[in-house]
Amino acid sequence: MSPILAARGLRLAYDSRVVVENLSIDIPDGGFTVIVGPNACGKSTLLKALARTITPSAGEVLLGGSPMLSYRSKQVARRLAMLPQSPISPDAITVRDLIGRGRYPHQSLLRQWTAADETAVDEAMAATAVGELADRLVAELSGGQRQRVWIAMVLAQQTELLLLDEPTTFLDIAHQYDVLELCARLHESGRTLVVVLHDLNQAARYATNLVVMKDGGILAQGSPTDVLTADLVEAVFGLPSLVIPDPETGTPMVVPRRPRVR
Amino acid sequence: MSRRQGPAARPARRPAARPVLRLGEAVSLPIDRRALTVGMLVVVAILLAGFLTLTLGSLGIAPAQLLPALFSDPGGTEGFVLSRLRGPRLTVAIATGAALGVSGALFQTVTRNPLGSPDVIGLGVGASAGAATVGLLYPGVLPVPAGALIGAAVAIVLVWLGTGRGFSSPARFIIVGIGVSAMGSAYTQFVIARAGREQALVLSAYLNGTLASRGWDDAVLIWGALAALVPIALLLGRRLHLIEMGDEMADALGARSGRTRIASIAVAVCLSAAAVSVAGPIAFVALTAPQIAKRLGRSPGTGILLSALTGALILVAADLLVQQSLMGVQLPVGILTAVVGGVYLGYLLIRESRKGTL
Repeated sequence: MSPILAARGLRLAYDSRVVVENLSIDIPDGGFTVIVGPNACGKSTLLKALARTITPSAGEVLLGGSPMLSYRSKQVARRLAMLPQSPISPDAITVRDLIGRGRYPHQSLLRQWTAADETAVDEAMAATAVGELADRLVAELSGGQRQRVWIAMVLAQQTELLLLDEPTTFLDIAHQYDVLELCARLHESGRTLVVVLHDLNQAARYATNLVVMKDGGILAQGSPTDVLTADLVEAVFGLPSLVIPDPETGTPMVVPRRPRVR
Repeated sequence: MSRRQGPAARPARRPAARPVLRLGEAVSLPIDRRALTVGMLVVVAILLAGFLTLTLGSLGIAPAQLLPALFSDPGGTEGFVLSRLRGPRLTVAIATGAALGVSGALFQTVTRNPLGSPDVIGLGVGASAGAATVGLLYPGVLPVPAGALIGAAVAIVLVWLGTGRGFSSPARFIIVGIGVSAMGSAYTQFVIARAGREQALVLSAYLNGTLASRGWDDAVLIWGALAALVPIALLLGRRLHLIEMGDEMADALGARSGRTRIASIAVAVCLSAAAVSVAGPIAFVALTAPQIAKRLGRSPGTGILLSALTGALILVAADLLVQQSLMGVQLPVGILTAVVGGVYLGYLLIRESRKGTL
């Protein structure tokens, strides 16, 4: 049984610059996959390819065992939602209207707003606890509130797969964990998550499947406890470190060492 | 802080559901009450400006006789004014303003920038250059409006070649457009300088954009273009809403930003070209109408119909002013819109550069 989302022999390039070469991956169904790696290792590019917002120059992404390109674009959007790193909030849009835009793949020319749309938006707002903000303008929200609203928008898409590109960037530490806890709840409710993160300790704490990338390839993949070792951190980031159990969760925690003074 | 509480901790306050137009199971469309109200008010304002256009001045039709005159040919001076002078001029003004408004709304949405409008990116200037070429350098080869159309097309192709990647970078689009504009106006000046003074004077009204002495054939052309192209623009409208949130977001939602952008620009260029070919390059209506519509409607999104109505109102009102001005000479309406719109463009340039979006 092949997983819902997988990639085979991907080559991803911007113009002539190849970022990812010959990469294959299976995304475990129902898992919380976190992709980590140094800057410019191709992790966001891989996420975009999985969400078909960039087209591979070789290889293919498989959705439900069939090539992504064999589906109509709206069909894909009913199964897979993706939140880019910096989406643009339109001028003068309210929270409720923005979340409603996530319903586009379920709508048609003559059925632009149905009871099902209304319900999906209400559910998405309840899941992200943004109900009180419904009539506020998105532009007036704080960074943490805004990120929850964007997540509500992709939730309103009602997809089994949810891809998030660095959802914690630009947030303070409390709001980072707020978003991660929200992701964990979504995972527990049965969704398959693929999230790009920067922070190794956060990745280890929340991931059920950790993917470590370097130079456009996958270096290691598996449960954080198996994957995240001091040797790996040194090999990937060039950072000598200790890896100890997180006192709160028991998951691996990376503590960087200071350079030895001669 | 309530953010650690689960979703059940506090039921979300449910705002009034949006009003929806339903026809059985098949049709379910949302209604924007405010946009509807504003739209009707703008229609009333257009009717009022149209009424004044037909009744004011020494050739004006007496208000009491206007309604009967509309439904039966009154003959005489009134008939001449209605069927030859102000009637076609008003009809052309409404549709030209609407075409410019829609064209601007489409351009500004796909570039996500109010400066990405046909005026700034060189369509109008290209049309002028084309008109000058046909009218002054090679008179008699082609009708002047055809030259304008070709000029506008050449300008957009140059902008397209200059930006590359199918218009996907709004900032490059605008900067290249400003460059093409500058080249186009330099070329037009060159042609005018080479031509004789008298010839240049003949063309100058057209080069500024004018609605004087328009006929019913112009009206048929521009209303035909509206009838063909506005429905396409409306069909693109929902996808344009998604493009507002960034190409990646739109693609993820299944709205295929690349195709939508190309289709929108094609529709917008055709509308602009139709407007230019009947009235010359009337400046800044396409730039201002969608912005005013956005503020009036106070709703996100493209507001294609509201932009059309606002464009029509601006042009009818501007043309009313130039017709009734006391300067003795009737200015081309394009000069009035250029003066007013130019101030607005300056304001936008300052605001956008402060915001760092340019």
